[in-house]
Amino acid sequence: MCGLAHYLEREGLPTVAIALIPRHAELMRPPRVLSVPFELGRPFGAPEMPKFQRAVMDHALGLLERTDGPVLETFPRRPNEHGASAVWSPPIEKASDIAIGEESAFVSALKAEIAAIQPACESWVAGGGRRLDRISGRTSPEIVDLMLALAQDPSIESPMEGFPIELAAKFAADDLKHAYYQAGLSQPGAVTDVGLDDWFYNDTLAGKLMFALCATLLKSEDEKVRGFASHAFVPSHQRENVPEI
Amino acid sequence: MYFEDMPEPGRSRLLNHPMPDMVETPCVEGLPLGKRRIALITTAGLHDYRDAPFVPGRSEYRTIPSSMDMADVITSHPSTNIDRIGILRDLDTVFPINRLREMEAEGAIGTVASNHYSFLGSTPPDNFEGLIGEIAAAMRADRVDGIVLAPV
Repeated sequence: MCGLAHYLEREGLPTVAIALIPRHAELMRPPRVLSVPFELGRPFGAPEMPKFQRAVMDHALGLLERTDGPVLETFPRRPNEHGASAVWSPPIEKASDIAIGEESAFVSALKAEIAAIQPACESWVAGGGRRLDRISGRTSPEIVDLMLALAQDPSIESPMEGFPIELAAKFAADDLKHAYYQAGLSQPGAVTDVGLDDWFYNDTLAGKLMFALCATLLKSEDEKVRGFASHAFVPSHQRENVPEI
Repeated sequence: MYFEDMPEPGRSRLLNHPMPDMVETPCVEGLPLGKRRIALITTAGLHDYRDAPFVPGRSEYRTIPSSMDMADVITSHPSTNIDRIGILRDLDTVFPINRLREMEAEGAIGTVASNHYSFLGSTPPDNFEGLIGEIAAAMRADRVDGIVLAPV
């Protein structure tokens, strides 16, 4: 982001960059930076807090008129978004303990789990919620078939022309995960991204499939695939749960 | 998740991600904010769901017109460590197009640009350098004279 700011300013276009990791901005020293103490993925603070977002934007745009760069300022506060919200509960019961090795039983149970979250997904969309589960262009059952096939045989061909198999699997996996997150967010109460991850990875069969896929790709003979698998399927705070990592 | 709460070794890897050694760039002067035309640039990997997803490491970008239906915006950013709740609940958490529209209506900025631009973060900045001339020309044609760049 800071590199882009340098390049665009050199083209004669005034810029102000937001920074979520202050050290990167300190090293790169673009013309104008507002460092913000927010969660990764939230450069304007928090969802559904328009006044707070506006305060961040006012601060950032205020720097745009400065010409004494490099300017590095820090936004002074974090959003207080949860307050006294109700306790969040997942939309489905915790999955029963079926091993992926029991292939037909696992697939049946996973497809039943996906069917079980559908009402919550539909409720999310009906309420105006965003759909992020549209990267791969595949349905959830198709995604399960692809992920399972890859978890069992990493040498299968990519179903997406122009995209390597590990990336096609990543898009499919993210679609599946996003469908669960959409279902989760349809529930009342406040939940964090870590809370959603904890539910998805530890209490659902889809999460179990994600761990299995990650573990298989980590054994790939292709160093590039191993490197990709090490961070693309399981978040840092769940990585210790990947089998044989 | 806050950066400081990220477990090791991911936290140190992200903190110590190699940064190019950039020569200082002087600030370009401009009109008062109330007369400027503002564009957004995001590295959230945002795009229309009908577009091809981003490929990590590839030099590419997507255009997000102000006129598009923002309900069609998705992300193909591969990171598993950035929050997804914000973008699911409110696009303005990462791409504050509505905040800019409010500012335009109030006269706090001049106007909102016709087009905005999306990149995939976690990509070496050098990969983008060759694209900048093209994007800068498009922005100048759109009379943009202020850019807010937002990471994830």
